[in-house]
Amino acid sequence: MASVLETEYVGRRRPLFRLALVSSLLTVLTLGIYRFWMKTRLRRFYWSSIRPGGQPLEYVGEPMEKLLGFLIAVVFLAFYIGIVNLLLMFVSFSFFNTNLWAYALSFVGIVPIIFYARYRARRYILARTRWRGIRFGMDQGAWSYAWRALVHWLVTILSLGLLWPRMTFWLEKYRTDRTWFGSEKMQQGGRWQMLYRPYLVFLAGLVTVAIGGVVTFQGNVVAGGGLIVFGVLLTGYGLVHYRVHAFRLMTNTKNIGGIGFRSRPRPWRVLRVYSMGYGLAVLAIVALLTGLGVLFYMAILGGQPVGEDVDLTLIGDNVPWWVNTVFAMVTYFSLFILWGVLTHVLVTLPLARHYAETLEITAPAGLSGIKQRHRDDMEHAEGFAEALDVGAAI
Amino acid sequence: MSETVIRVGRSAPVLRSFADYLDGEQALVQRVELEIVETVRGPELVIRPPEAPEVRWPLDDIRVVPDQAGKDVLMLRLADDPVSRLLVSDEEARAIIRARCPNLHQRPPVKKRARLLAWSLGAVASVGLIIFVLVPLLSDRLAVFLPPEGEKALGDVTFEQIRTALSDNEFLPVAVCQGRSGDRALAVMQARLQGKLDLPYPVSLSVLDHKMVNAFTLPGGRVILFRGLIDAAETPDEVAAVLAHEVGHVVNRDPTRSALRSAGSIGVLGLLFGDFAGGTVVLFLLNRLIDATYSQDAEAAADAFAHQALADAGVPPSALATMFERLLEKGGDADGIVAHFQAHPKLGDRIRAARQADRLLEAPASPVLNDVQWKALQGICR
Ligand SMILES: [Zn+2]
Repeated sequence: MASVLETEYVGRRRPLFRLALVSSLLTVLTLGIYRFWMKTRLRRFYWSSIRPGGQPLEYVGEPMEKLLGFLIAVVFLAFYIGIVNLLLMFVSFSFFNTNLWAYALSFVGIVPIIFYARYRARRYILARTRWRGIRFGMDQGAWSYAWRALVHWLVTILSLGLLWPRMTFWLEKYRTDRTWFGSEKMQQGGRWQMLYRPYLVFLAGLVTVAIGGVVTFQGNVVAGGGLIVFGVLLTGYGLVHYRVHAFRLMTNTKNIGGIGFRSRPRPWRVLRVYSMGYGLAVLAIVALLTGLGVLFYMAILGGQPVGEDVDLTLIGDNVPWWVNTVFAMVTYFSLFILWGVLTHVLVTLPLARHYAETLEITAPAGLSGIKQRHRDDMEHAEGFAEALDVGAAI
Repeated sequence: MSETVIRVGRSAPVLRSFADYLDGEQALVQRVELEIVETVRGPELVIRPPEAPEVRWPLDDIRVVPDQAGKDVLMLRLADDPVSRLLVSDEEARAIIRARCPNLHQRPPVKKRARLLAWSLGAVASVGLIIFVLVPLLSDRLAVFLPPEGEKALGDVTFEQIRTALSDNEFLPVAVCQGRSGDRALAVMQARLQGKLDLPYPVSLSVLDHKMVNAFTLPGGRVILFRGLIDAAETPDEVAAVLAHEVGHVVNRDPTRSALRSAGSIGVLGLLFGDFAGGTVVLFLLNRLIDATYSQDAEAAADAFAHQALADAGVPPSALATMFERLLEKGGDADGIVAHFQAHPKLGDRIRAARQADRLLEAPASPVLNDVQWKALQGICR
């Protein structure tokens, strides 16, 4: 076996575009029920695109188990959300005369469940991922994770964000140390301080914005404004820089029974994917809106020029209400579908490709000793994450 | 193995190739030899690993793993074996397998059908129970305990939202009409109707400059009439009748119940539909549906209140019937699905009830406003 396994990426935009388009159309037509199938099919595609050492990953989750998990989550969460929202609304208006408190409180109430759901979603995804025919897996521990995540967030907020890298490290370590590949357990090495250097760019951006604010306040609006603009850009880049390097450092210090990783993603490349991808998606949306606008105008006004004699405010009056409604629905759904499909093709796929192609597996000789692990049934699947709309983006 | 092997000479293409085999027990990729042989049980794919015993897959039971990104590899599995995989990259071998395996794209049977059904019913039942029983029950009980200031705040928030929502221009909310003599005429009407009523808070009445023939009530005693309604009325009594109906909603605290209720049910519905396209649109329509069914009972109660209040104030309750008839002319009564999306269905019954209520009058009726006051009210938005 080679001393290093490189990762190949074989996913192409065209088949992904077709898959995403067809499945989002079906999702809309089935009032959302097909979304479980859509997610499964997209994951099969994304997983199989990644081939470490030439062997594709396989996603074996099933839509029906997702649906079942979702239904179970609904039964439990419906009580919580329905009754708690109503009570919070009542309390909020009884004591504070505003509904802002209701929103804030209901968010706080849901936060632990979000962390819980995220851990479970990751466990489900790992349990349904295979490479070389061997299952990944994750130990239980979602509530303990939720509790830790809460404390880490609190510490991070109290430290005004200075201890963010500490949270990144410890939460990732908690998840990694419970991850399995077949019979072998994964381990997270390294120290949290190693994440601090890439974090400095982000901090520098924040400091620049603050200084710009002070300078502006003291009267030098041009210099201050310039500093603020520069600082905001630097903060934005700093965020990407931090996330990319944190991923790299955390990956390079993971190992499974002696098998290691070497990851080399580049922040500028990631930033380019984000800005180009979302930029193009926005352009496409604008083009679609313009097209629909022209279509509507032709249909309603019969193409007559808008002049003094056409009262635009009367347009809604001489059209039957259902035409407006149908048109609004079609516009809304087309925008929604187009945006989703384009972000898959222009953002998610290039990002996955970049992260995959810059990943190597070192010392793969250890693979020969790894045996299969039992199947994790996980009847709840990722139902809680699904119901709360949190967890994996795909 | 000693079985009869029938070779089908030249008619069937011969497969002799290599592929990657994953046995699902070790993380090893085994380079295996492939061959299709004909047996008494039917054709089988023989997989021969270098150092392990051969494996036989009946061609009928071979399935392709769907939605794979790489078109250069065909990933195969055995129907009832969840782990082992065969990855065929040789182009000719892929073509032969595609041609000879009849059930490549057959879907696996749905497992746990009964549990799925049970939990589906459970989910529907619990959502139904919460939205149609628990949340309404709780909001009916709680509405009474909400302090008046809280209700007012709730109403103020909603009022601004409605003014913006009704306007064509997002930055220019629908205007509140304030003609001085018009306001005075409104006050006269209000005073006569309210008489000796005991209200949790004073009714604050506004007219919105909008052509809709409608009126509604918000939490905290905020009653809103649209200019379209005043324009459509032919006598001041008709406006007074609508006002009395809205005051009935205030007394019953209907808007507060409805606000608490939607706070509860919107969250639950959001849970159900997730972020699928148009979730918000569906949520809105569903919530409208739930609200409207609630309103039918509340409307009847508000009508009954209005009949009594009008009669007490010496205004014939049949004025309400006249107003409803004008509504009917404008929009027509809607039945079926559409009726649920309108807050005031079944107008026919309500018209009859209002006509009959004229017998509640104890003294002879007199117009609620004189001609000068009525002219002033009609010009309130000018
Ligand atoms: Zn009403």
